[in-house]
Amino acid sequence: MKEIINRFLGRGAQASKEDAKQRLKFLLIHDQVDLTPGQLDQMKTEILEVIARYVEVEADENSEFKLEKGEDHVALVSSIPVRRVVQRAKAS
Amino acid sequence: MSECIVVTSGKGGVGKTTTSANLGVALALLGKKVVVVDADIGLRNLDVILGLENRIVYDLVHVVEGECRLKQALIRDKRADGLFLLPAAQTRDKNAVTPDQMRELVGRLKENHDIILVDCPAGIEQGFKNAVAGADRAVIVTTPEVSAIRDADRIIGMVEAAELPEPRLIINRFRPKMVEAGDMMNKEDILEILAIPLLGVVPDHEDIIVSANRGIPVVFDENSIVGEAFRRVARRIAGETDVPELEFDQDNGMWSTLMRWMGLGPAREVAR
Ligand SMILES: Nc1ncnc2c1ncn2[C@@H]1O[C@H](COP(=O)(O)OP(=O)(O)OP(=O)(O)O)[C@@H](O)[C@H]1O
Ligand SMILES: [Mg+2]
Repeated sequence: MKEIINRFLGRGAQASKEDAKQRLKFLLIHDQVDLTPGQLDQMKTEILEVIARYVEVEADENSEFKLEKGEDHVALVSSIPVRRVVQRAKAS
Repeated sequence: MSECIVVTSGKGGVGKTTTSANLGVALALLGKKVVVVDADIGLRNLDVILGLENRIVYDLVHVVEGECRLKQALIRDKRADGLFLLPAAQTRDKNAVTPDQMRELVGRLKENHDIILVDCPAGIEQGFKNAVAGADRAVIVTTPEVSAIRDADRIIGMVEAAELPEPRLIINRFRPKMVEAGDMMNKEDILEILAIPLLGVVPDHEDIIVSANRGIPVVFDENSIVGEAFRRVARRIAGETDVPELEFDQDNGMWSTLMRWMGLGPAREVAR
């Protein structure tokens, strides 16, 4: 009922086709990327290794890697807690 | 006692996945502990219909191959207490799993759940054999069309050959207006041909498309007539014996008449 009234007033929840489109974009990228859980772990380890050359980061449990959907794009988002920057000498 | 029910049809696209998702949710809402298993390996869909696609890390093939524990692959549906999904692999094929492995898997799922619903792929080959392997009984989905009913008949034979007890029927995508006009077989016609007990009739309805767009199974919508149809089927599966049949031409109340008059077709237009 609320939906009908909302439709009548031209407001309310986003049309379900927009949901469909967003979900699909995400799904297709997911399918194309197609990383196995093992590969995902490997990628995490390697990315962390590189980052650790420059900044001191917290180990595994607190870092996060996932595909995330934004308004009109999908991004690989990682969140890695940083302790502090490593000395320059080591970095170069 | 736990029970494993396979949802199958023979013909593709008649509504097995839609039915599995909605019955899974409805049974969980009735208080059952339910796992829905996507046995359509290589073409997974049940996750999308349930709206759980973002939460998949491991799948059925990982479990069977021992790459993860069963628990790690089960996705809990936060909207319906007691409901879990075991997703199919998207990039493997049907031969990645054997009937023996499926039987073993279902056995393990039964330890912690009341009802295991297996969404069967179309066809009568390996995928079907896998899906049926662990099942205690079958639900056959058909539409009121010649080709679908013919395939349903074939599948009923195969289910019996697999020594499962008498399968039960769901007639999906029913269109009362067409039946009324004599352009679609009615319930009696179909039951006369297939001669198995009926679990319920589910109308053809646009709510299904909207709910698939959103990833929110229609049984969550208390006002939806299709949702109600699936809820009643779920009650019958759960063992209720006096669930009344759903009336499809009940939408003539004053409110819907008014809405129609205003050109605002009700969101739950019952018959097309
Ligand atoms: N009651 C219904 N009313 C309207 N549309 C429906 C209904 N049931 C199913 N559909 C639509 O029919 C199509 C096929 O449904 P579904 O995917 O559930 O079938 P399936 O038997 O699992 O197919 P497959 O054999 O490919 O696995 C979908 O587009 C779905 O939205
Ligand atoms: Mg399907």
